[in-house]
Amino acid sequence: MKKALITGITGQDGAYLSQFLLGKGYEVYGALRRSEEMNISRLKFLGIDSQIKFVPFELADIINIYKTIDRVQPDEIYNLAAQTSIRIAFEEPGYTTDINGIAVLRLLEAIRSINPKIKFFQASTGDMFGKVQVMPQNEGTPLNPLNPYATAKALGHWTTANYREAYEIFACSGILFDHDSPLRIHQSVPGMISNAVAGIKMGVQDKLILGNIEFSRDLGYAGEYVEAMWLMLQQDKPDDYVIATGETHTVREFIEAAFNSVGVKLEWSGKGLDEKGIDPKTGKIRVALELRFPSVNPASAAALVRSHSGATKPAQGDYSKAKKILGWEPKVTYKELFKIMVEHDLKHASNKELRD
Amino acid sequence: MAKKAFITGITGQDGSYLADLLLSKGYEVHGLIRKSSSLNTSRVEHLLVDAFVPERKFFLYYGDLADSARLYNLINEIKPDEIYHFGGQTSGKEGFELPEYTGNINALGTVRLLEAIRRTGIKTKFCHASSFEMFGASPPPYNENTAFRPRSPSGAAKAYAYEMTVTYRESYKLFACNSIMFDHESPRRFETAPTRKTTRAIAHILAGKQKNLYLGTLDPVRDWGYAPEYVEAMWRMMQQEKAGDYVLGCGEGHAVGDWVKVAFDYVKMDVDKYLKKDDRPHATGGAVYTADAAKAKKELGWQPKVNYQELVKIMIDADMEAVGLKPPGEGKAILTKYNLNTIDRASGNPNGGLEEWPGLRKYNI
Repeated sequence: MKKALITGITGQDGAYLSQFLLGKGYEVYGALRRSEEMNISRLKFLGIDSQIKFVPFELADIINIYKTIDRVQPDEIYNLAAQTSIRIAFEEPGYTTDINGIAVLRLLEAIRSINPKIKFFQASTGDMFGKVQVMPQNEGTPLNPLNPYATAKALGHWTTANYREAYEIFACSGILFDHDSPLRIHQSVPGMISNAVAGIKMGVQDKLILGNIEFSRDLGYAGEYVEAMWLMLQQDKPDDYVIATGETHTVREFIEAAFNSVGVKLEWSGKGLDEKGIDPKTGKIRVALELRFPSVNPASAAALVRSHSGATKPAQGDYSKAKKILGWEPKVTYKELFKIMVEHDLKHASNKELRD
Repeated sequence: MAKKAFITGITGQDGSYLADLLLSKGYEVHGLIRKSSSLNTSRVEHLLVDAFVPERKFFLYYGDLADSARLYNLINEIKPDEIYHFGGQTSGKEGFELPEYTGNINALGTVRLLEAIRRTGIKTKFCHASSFEMFGASPPPYNENTAFRPRSPSGAAKAYAYEMTVTYRESYKLFACNSIMFDHESPRRFETAPTRKTTRAIAHILAGKQKNLYLGTLDPVRDWGYAPEYVEAMWRMMQQEKAGDYVLGCGEGHAVGDWVKVAFDYVKMDVDKYLKKDDRPHATGGAVYTADAAKAKKELGWQPKVNYQELVKIMIDADMEAVGLKPPGEGKAILTKYNLNTIDRASGNPNGGLEEWPGLRKYNI
């Protein structure tokens, strides 16, 4: 039986990947960061929490990393753990760099000295392209990261490549573009849209408020992206792969898709910040714009605006290599994704634990 | 103007009780939380308000004790009158698994805070939540003059943090205190502490969510008090003319086995039917730790009221309520008797049904 060690097991991708690997007959070890609370709600939701062997884990602690890898002796390590918020990355650049960047080096060093046969997957991000120069972006496109999150991820990405080249470790980076799901992190933009549409449908929320609806995203369904991670580690040779949908859509389109899924054909009126999204059947305003951020500390708002305005062109992933070599292709469209998410939110709206 | 407090470890038992206390005293409370893909805020959920309510008095900030720059910026921005430092990797057992991280966060994290205070030059008071773990191999009595001989990574880190707090007080004239706290429990205690594990298991067994209670050695003797009383003592330290270090504890020792017996007796269950031996190696043997808190009594006028038998009942009541059962109810009467916090909800996921924290049970370490 193959053994996989997954960091970031409590997050969206960790949960789906665990489910996928359990289905393939893997023994799944979940690297769990110590906390006063048990954050395994996503695994519980998928009904797989009791099948996972949890190990205490901390990416900041090299001793713990060595101990854990030595004890588990995994065949594959999937490094999905990270400080994933761009806003928080501006507030905590040092911590973000340590966990997203330097920790990758710690993991690879441990693999090198304990067992260089262990295969390694690094979750890189389309955000590394930042201020994009070429459309669309593939594995050869230069990185141009624009925020501390992406810069740290670029460090992890290059480190993975270095260990592949220098030590012949089977190390792959998946350059994952945005991917959401019902298990997404709280406060992702697609998550806010889906939550709000469900709330409006149920009559517990009046409208959705967002800052900027013109920026575009290459957005896919997380449940499909985890399969690509696994496929990368089953090839003859390690390599990097872009995992994306190859399409970009604006937040405006996302909002329309989400409302469509509950039978509301939104109409827009007004310009700039005065623009409103209206439900023509009732005449009620369901979307309004406001320059406020879902922030525990609004001081970072300015930095976030800067980071968005820097990205003049939308990141759009070219996944043709993944299609050719891995036989991987995304199936869920953004419209279907919002349907899945809104349906989930309608069903679980009362379950706070899953909505967080 | 309202006093401002900054609390690290606000999502834990002590930080959340202190937030309750300070808000009731009219403070503005600012707390540090770690970024995670799930919100770990169940203990302060009743305090959360929308981030855009202008008159709110409760604020949370993402941050990490590993990040000096962030700590400096936050303190500079908040300009707190008082800083209470509870944050850290507090599990003795996990300290052995995460020795580097434990040292980094518990020991150096404290220095990062002290240094941030010094650099900002803000006149703020500082209280470090320390622990009896520092005494380790030292013989009793355990008071402010007892030598530290820590015998665990978390105890050693705590001892370093303690001494650095004293160093900053003496070298830079910071108002910096240490509270040397003995075990203090509550319905918000972490679910794998033997005390909470027992009360929670009883509730879960009664609710049909769990079959057994697994515990290791029942011999260690501990000095258990009710957590809200301990954080109140820390607040009192900060109101003194001079900063100092204080041992906090009840002064009474009881074996873990006694706690388990009182708990099962309270709900009239046969302990032998449910208690199973967890025979994995345990770090501590039959050590006896009880506090000599005479200084806190004399200088702070502090004396804990809730004894351990009463504490067991408070916790069982809350754990039973959390799973939708009607508790015997003595716990509420005790809280009312002492005029203590009577709305005390059990922390954690009531639907868990886990017999133990998954990291410990399923992977045999």
